[in-house]
Amino acid sequence: MIIAERKPMKELLSMVSGVKRLLIVGCRGCVAVCSAGGDKEVAILAAALRLGVKRAGGDIDIQQDTLIRQCDPEYIDPLNEKASGFDAVLSMACGVGVNFVADRCPGVNVLPALNTTFYGANLSSGEWKEMCAGCGACVLHLTGGLCPVARCAKSLSNGPCGGSQGGRCEINPDVACIWQQIYDKMSSMNRKEELRQIMPIRDWATAGHGGPRRRIREDLLP
Amino acid sequence: MMAGSNLENVLRSGTFAVTGELGPPKSGDMEAVRKKARILKGHVDAVNITDCQTAIVRMSSLTAGLIALSEGVEPVMQMTCRDRNRIGMQADILGASALGIKNLLCLTGDHQKFGNHPQAKGVFDMDSIQLLQMVKGMRDEKRFQCGEEIKKAEPKLFLGCAANPFADPFEFRPVRLAKKVDAGANFVQTQIIYNVEKFRKFMEMVCDLGLDERCFILAGVTPPKSLGMARYMKKFVPGLDVTDEVIQRLQDAKDQKEEGIDICVDVINQVRDIPGVAGVHVMAIEWEEAVPEIVKRAGLSDRPEPKGVEPILTSTSAIEEAVDKARNEARLELEGQLEKVKAEAQASRELLAKEKEKVASEISGLKKQIEEAKNIVSSKEAEIQRLTEELQRAKRALDEAHAEGAAPKPTYEAGESVAMVSSSKLTAREQQVLDSLNKGLTALKDVLGLSDAQFEAMRRFLEAEFMLQFGAAAGQVPEAEISPPPLEAVKEAPVQEAAPEEIPEEKPGRSKEVVNLVAQGNVALHAKDYKKAVEVFKKALEIAPEDEKAKEGLEEARQALQEEKEAADRAVKPKEVAGLPPCPDDIDPDEWKRKWVIRFTARGNVALMKGDYETAKKEFQKALELDPDYDKARDGLKRAEAKEDVYIPEVKPGEPVTVEAPAKEAPKKEEKVEAKEIPVEEAPEKKEAPEAKEEKAEAVSEKREAKPKAKVEISAPTGEGVGDLAVSPLPKDEPPLEERAKGIPEEVYKEPCTGVIQSVTIGDGEKAITVGGETALPFHAFEGEIPNLPKTAYEVLDAPPEEWPEVLLKHYSDVINDSAAWARKCVNEFGAEAICLSLESTDPNGANVSSADAAQVAKKVIEAVDVPIILWGCGNAEKDTETLREITSLVENRNVCIGPLTDANYRTLGATAMAFQYPVVASTPIDVNLAKQLNILLENLGVHLDHILMDPSIGAVGYGLEYTYSVMERIRLAALTQQDDKLSPPIICNIGREVWKAKETRLPTDAELGDQEKRGVLMEAITASTLLLAGGELAVLRHPKAINLTNALVQGML
Amino acid sequence: MSNIKGFCCNYTLSVDLDALKKEGLVPEGLEIERLPCTGRLEVPELLDAFTEGADAVFVVGCQVDKCHNLSGSYRASKRVKYAKKILEELDMDPGRVEMFFADRGETEPVVEAARVMSERASN
Repeated sequence: MIIAERKPMKELLSMVSGVKRLLIVGCRGCVAVCSAGGDKEVAILAAALRLGVKRAGGDIDIQQDTLIRQCDPEYIDPLNEKASGFDAVLSMACGVGVNFVADRCPGVNVLPALNTTFYGANLSSGEWKEMCAGCGACVLHLTGGLCPVARCAKSLSNGPCGGSQGGRCEINPDVACIWQQIYDKMSSMNRKEELRQIMPIRDWATAGHGGPRRRIREDLLP
Repeated sequence: MMAGSNLENVLRSGTFAVTGELGPPKSGDMEAVRKKARILKGHVDAVNITDCQTAIVRMSSLTAGLIALSEGVEPVMQMTCRDRNRIGMQADILGASALGIKNLLCLTGDHQKFGNHPQAKGVFDMDSIQLLQMVKGMRDEKRFQCGEEIKKAEPKLFLGCAANPFADPFEFRPVRLAKKVDAGANFVQTQIIYNVEKFRKFMEMVCDLGLDERCFILAGVTPPKSLGMARYMKKFVPGLDVTDEVIQRLQDAKDQKEEGIDICVDVINQVRDIPGVAGVHVMAIEWEEAVPEIVKRAGLSDRPEPKGVEPILTSTSAIEEAVDKARNEARLELEGQLEKVKAEAQASRELLAKEKEKVASEISGLKKQIEEAKNIVSSKEAEIQRLTEELQRAKRALDEAHAEGAAPKPTYEAGESVAMVSSSKLTAREQQVLDSLNKGLTALKDVLGLSDAQFEAMRRFLEAEFMLQFGAAAGQVPEAEISPPPLEAVKEAPVQEAAPEEIPEEKPGRSKEVVNLVAQGNVALHAKDYKKAVEVFKKALEIAPEDEKAKEGLEEARQALQEEKEAADRAVKPKEVAGLPPCPDDIDPDEWKRKWVIRFTARGNVALMKGDYETAKKEFQKALELDPDYDKARDGLKRAEAKEDVYIPEVKPGEPVTVEAPAKEAPKKEEKVEAKEIPVEEAPEKKEAPEAKEEKAEAVSEKREAKPKAKVEISAPTGEGVGDLAVSPLPKDEPPLEERAKGIPEEVYKEPCTGVIQSVTIGDGEKAITVGGETALPFHAFEGEIPNLPKTAYEVLDAPPEEWPEVLLKHYSDVINDSAAWARKCVNEFGAEAICLSLESTDPNGANVSSADAAQVAKKVIEAVDVPIILWGCGNAEKDTETLREITSLVENRNVCIGPLTDANYRTLGATAMAFQYPVVASTPIDVNLAKQLNILLENLGVHLDHILMDPSIGAVGYGLEYTYSVMERIRLAALTQQDDKLSPPIICNIGREVWKAKETRLPTDAELGDQEKRGVLMEAITASTLLLAGGELAVLRHPKAINLTNALVQGML
Repeated sequence: MSNIKGFCCNYTLSVDLDALKKEGLVPEGLEIERLPCTGRLEVPELLDAFTEGADAVFVVGCQVDKCHNLSGSYRASKRVKYAKKILEELDMDPGRVEMFFADRGETEPVVEAARVMSERASN
């Protein structure tokens, strides 16, 4: 899932300064699940912005709406109409949603309400952790299913650096050393010999360094 | 060769390499780099230039590396993957190679989070292993990472990587290193090592993977600059294992920096011996000045001359500038030289002119003088002629008187001149003549302006002449014409100083010849040409052996010659102390004298013990001549004069002292054993041993027969265990050294030492033992004196041993519950010369028996036996202080030895020992400097060096014996050859405890390892004999057989 | 005089507010909204109270472990916590919103909460 978090109120307030009529649009996709941009968060943001604007001596009319997803045209396209009469649309979707609204609604002044942080999993209520970097060249079969690209501070390919101590990463003792975990996992599966293989230098083109990525599946094309 | 770098050359040559580290400045300050480079230059083979270490922005490693190179220091450029992607890195690699950088250390790099730009984007396009792969590809395949060919000038780089043996997972670390080597690493520098044991394990694994064969491994070390730094590293630097011992050492240190350097040197010394380690990487971060000292103390100062360390990049303007500068310098220098030469020429011209003038004036002066002298001489000649005539007249008168029958009695006194001839022999007339002659001569002296010496020469000459002429004439027919004195000689006198050989040598007449010779001798004498004088006088005596003048002259000349020689000696060697061998240049003459005082005294004592009182007296006198206040020598002299031996008064002169007499002791033991333990069937063979020994002493041919028997006994113990405990004496079948070395000059095989080891006496009365006192290296009796044989002591515990293997324990099983009985058994049954009571049970980490209880046990032991006792604490400084003080309060009348004194408790225990005049054991952890320091501390406290036994802490065979050996050897060489008397106390080695805790002494008997007891005994005996060879004087041991073996060795060799 | 808005659940306040005001036990500007359970309360309502003019807002719910609806007052406390965070982001004193717990049917805690909040509001 894509993990996101609300931008700080100050940034949002400055973003909407001068806006008289604002439409806040949530998304019931990933951001709803990670409690960043679903119906509830839309309501809270609306209330908070009203309070903030009022305290700043302003006046704002805020309306709320939440779409099923903001990454599919069929949910986005109605915005073209809905947004008419609003000075701005504050999207509470991930960056994909904001882009998509911008792409598909030419007349809409779309603003991001969230910072899109990472691809992660929900460890427990209120806690999420990065698990994937979306690098486009998965090596998880070589590393016991644990990703060194996303989960090693230096994205090392060939084992733990000299800062690995007691299973912890040198950058922060709260962070586990993923290479220790990979080693333990591979050992437990009697596969640690495989770690002797040198993982060759990576092709980062698939990780976005080769330009914006696009995927096409011919059989599904209309 | 990969790159032909200096580092590569050094490593491939097998030399133990040293690399340093240089952190570029956080500025564009080129001087900062130069300065650091100059500090390191010559002390290391190459220097790592860090690449923004800990992610702090600094001058780039490439740039700083080039600056270092321009200082003649070979850089190892570090490259991290944090800040550049493959494009930037390859670009820099090409540039580095083009500008003469030949070593590249490939790192992933510290995470940017640690640096001063934690917001930076970490690139990490690749990791260090992939970087190695990439550069190796560029170098060996001539391809860029993308596969494209490098058409020209591929980068030639010697590739390195880092390894951290202390990071986790530990068992993966060597594997990861293997990956680096596979990827192309030629050398490795490890993380900072403090935990040497862990590193050792790491290296074992690395060697198991064969990596030491495929790359050069340099152990990383760092001197902790302060306690704070060490604590910081321990707490906050991930992957750095700073041991508690290091923290403790710094905490205890007076000078933390100094200690930091020592810690670093210790680590270097330890890792050097680890297989697979090819060098060290000394990282003195922001403390580059420490590197030369570390390298020096580690004995690595002798770096190979760097090869090919030359900067490539110099701009044309720089070249022109340099050429101009060189040209200018050369011109200035030439001009300077020219000026100088001109000035010198001018000066010499002037000097020459002056000299000419001077010489001319001198010559004219001389001419004038000669002229004057001639005038005077001719006038005096006339005078002399007159006197001669008068003489002849007198003679005639005398003849007439003779003719009349009776000579007139002398009526007047002898003249004022104290003539050389007894006046009683002279007649009045003769006397008169002589007087007037003397007067004339005195006048002549004044006139000629002769010096006293010249005058004296002339006077003697004339007198001799006179006596001969006159004396001969007096007793004979006065026909012989009295010729005038040979005035030529007189004339020559003023010039004779310059050319005495010009004296006319030939004179007619036998007696005249003698006279001439004597005169010639006298002249030479006064010209201070004593050799010639001696020669001439001798010649004179050949002709006239009874000639008094000649004899006298000869004596005088000889004496003068002797004096002159001594004066010359003194002048040439002002440091020399009379009667001593030449003082080495590096020693203060007073110091030298003092050493000889001690040495003479030591020799005296040796002689005293041997009962050679004459020699003793002489030696003591020699010592007293040098230092009349030296009490020891005075005492010795007294004893020597009273013919009183220090140790055993009843020993007859010429007989060795009992405790040191192997001949007496060995058979004693044998008898005991025979009576007790020898199986019946073996008895006859055993009995032969002592007999064989006696025979050996008499007949050389029989020695050869006796030898194999002795061998069989030692090497073939009965089935289980070591069999009986007795050991036959080693055969002394070698002919003595003098015989073997016949025909070889002594100095070829002898290298006498200049120092002397202190003599330390433990115990009381006739059972007291003395160790040390030697003036030669261990067992080198042919080079000096070894007055006391190395000794052994039996270790007795204060409580039943818990961890002694059965094979050892069985010998004491009946006494382990009673330490006193145990000690008695050692003395009465095994013949122990000394007992070492180990107070192991007092250890607070063990049984923690109270000091008072332990003292009671010790008291019983001390009372149970009369041999010397060493009281050895548990090693806990505080507890030992308490326990040993407690004991000393109970046993103050016995001269026990206490220990171990460490730097933690030397004050309290040292004071106690001083109060009772006990010898002490000064214990330090295997380090020459620490040992010396403790001795100095003790000496400052007031404990004399002759009351100290050094315990250097030893390791058993297989457990660091080599290290111990080399430390002891260094201590001994310092004491004996470098006169380092702070290291001169004898050495005690507590061996038993080390050996019997080794795994090998505990494994049961099996086919592969053989018999357990024999194994343990041999380990103990081998450890003991090795350490005695290294300089040990007193070995504390456990197994009776091992002790017998050790004693046999000692007695066989000395 | 400050405006105080209080949210109480059905179980924590049983006395008439006007009676309390008459006796002077609570400030004049106090307004109380009674809810079936404080667990129903959402963050926007807390924020809206400020928007609508309250100087301070409080919530009184059952004791955490004795909530009539098991975890209602616990939920309310978490929402108050989030509301505090937003106030902070808006440069407001997070102490202006607070959660109080009271035993069933007791009036004193409400009176006490009102007093505390009116004090905070006047600071």
